[in-house]
Amino acid sequence: MHIPDGILPVQVSAGGYAIAGLATWYSLRQINRKSDPTAEIPKASLLTAAFFVGSSIYIPIPPTSIHLILNGLMGVVLGYFAFPAILIGLFFQALIIGHGGLTTLGVNATMMGIPALLAYHIFQLRHSLGRSLPGTWGTGLFAFLGGALGLGLAALVFFVLVITTIPSGFDAATEQAAITALSIAHIPLMVIEGTFTATLVLFLQRVKPELLEGVGKP
Amino acid sequence: MILSHQEAYIQLASPIHHWLPRQKLISLFALMFAFAAVRHLALLLPMLAVTTILYGLSQLPVSFLGQRLRYPGLFILTVVLVLPLASGETVLWQWGWLTVRQEGLQSMGLVLGRFLSILTLGFILLGTTPFLSLIKAMRSLGLPAILTDMTLLAYRYLYEIADTLATMQQAMRLRGFGQTRQRRLRLDGRVQQQLASLIGTLLIRSYERSERVYKAMRLRGYGTPQSPVKPAGTRQQVPDKTGWALTGTTLALAVGFVVAEVVLSGL
Repeated sequence: MHIPDGILPVQVSAGGYAIAGLATWYSLRQINRKSDPTAEIPKASLLTAAFFVGSSIYIPIPPTSIHLILNGLMGVVLGYFAFPAILIGLFFQALIIGHGGLTTLGVNATMMGIPALLAYHIFQLRHSLGRSLPGTWGTGLFAFLGGALGLGLAALVFFVLVITTIPSGFDAATEQAAITALSIAHIPLMVIEGTFTATLVLFLQRVKPELLEGVGKP
Repeated sequence: MILSHQEAYIQLASPIHHWLPRQKLISLFALMFAFAAVRHLALLLPMLAVTTILYGLSQLPVSFLGQRLRYPGLFILTVVLVLPLASGETVLWQWGWLTVRQEGLQSMGLVLGRFLSILTLGFILLGTTPFLSLIKAMRSLGLPAILTDMTLLAYRYLYEIADTLATMQQAMRLRGFGQTRQRRLRLDGRVQQQLASLIGTLLIRSYERSERVYKAMRLRGYGTPQSPVKPAGTRQQVPDKTGWALTGTTLALAVGFVVAEVVLSGL
């Protein structure tokens, strides 16, 4: 779910860079507010590399398999480091496999990164709204919502951008119907991504809870 | 991994290889954005010609581009192949319900031309510049220090983490993962849990390793104010005449494409 070079109008690509620049500035400002931001950099960097490598894993659903986006999970684990991490991951992907593109790097980073920051804030709600839920239900539920909405929002932005900018000759109503249909078709994938995020977060909570509390969180 | 192959031709001695990374980065990015602005068929051939000349100047072999275009090329084809069938009114060819339309065909040509040109410029940039020089050039152009450090560290450990994952996946297969026949179109909860544990373990191993890396970095002075003394052997690269000529020509071409696009849109 990356927009390649050559599809989008240059204004959209430039706008993507502008929004990505703003989001990076905001994330770095939040990171620099920490007492020792340099201590977090190696952790965030190695986790960025691990997410990049881990995103190559497919979940088998015979006769096919699905590819996870993991942007919601990155928000949940990396906090404010998620946006820079996604930017770097997408840069590597454009570099290594030509997936995405250099002119569309800003758009792709915005599409994946802003939902990741939103996922982080949703996951933080477990401390307030999730407190009334029994046991690990609060953590699981808000991790699910973070993962599912992270993918859902990224998919919605992807379809809106691709369908409205490709000169397909369809009228506005047809384009809107196509966006709605494709978004609805993605609901099962949102459920899978959300369930996977919740399963992984509950695993981390059992084995290494500090990973859910430490990196990139004020 | 493929990234190491990206630097396989870094030692060539073409004018593009000798072009100062900072100038190369600015010029090629300007040209990429100018190509992204192309909307008229009249500019398609000049765009492809400029790309071919630059690729020829770089002396990179055609096979280098061919290998890298295969995967993204297939992806974009699946996106744009529908255009000649769905977009436009002027019918060029019809067979039953299958109709090929002129406007859609032109849109497809434009998208493919822009895609090929921009991607090729990207591969010229990356194929002729060492990764570290590229990041250094970005840093000198204002890339924030945190982003620079994160990019370099992530790049440094990327291969090792990929090796760790490959070893873990092999261990899983040896213990029977993926051997049981799954029911069609059904998500197996146990498989999902095992894969979540796999990625979770990879994250934990990377996190624990990062703690050791940070301690080693601190011992070497990371996070303390930088010494004003440059390490021995570091030399500031000076732009030469060819570099200036390439920069001037590329930037002029970028401006030329944008102006031509504006003029053609006004006609």
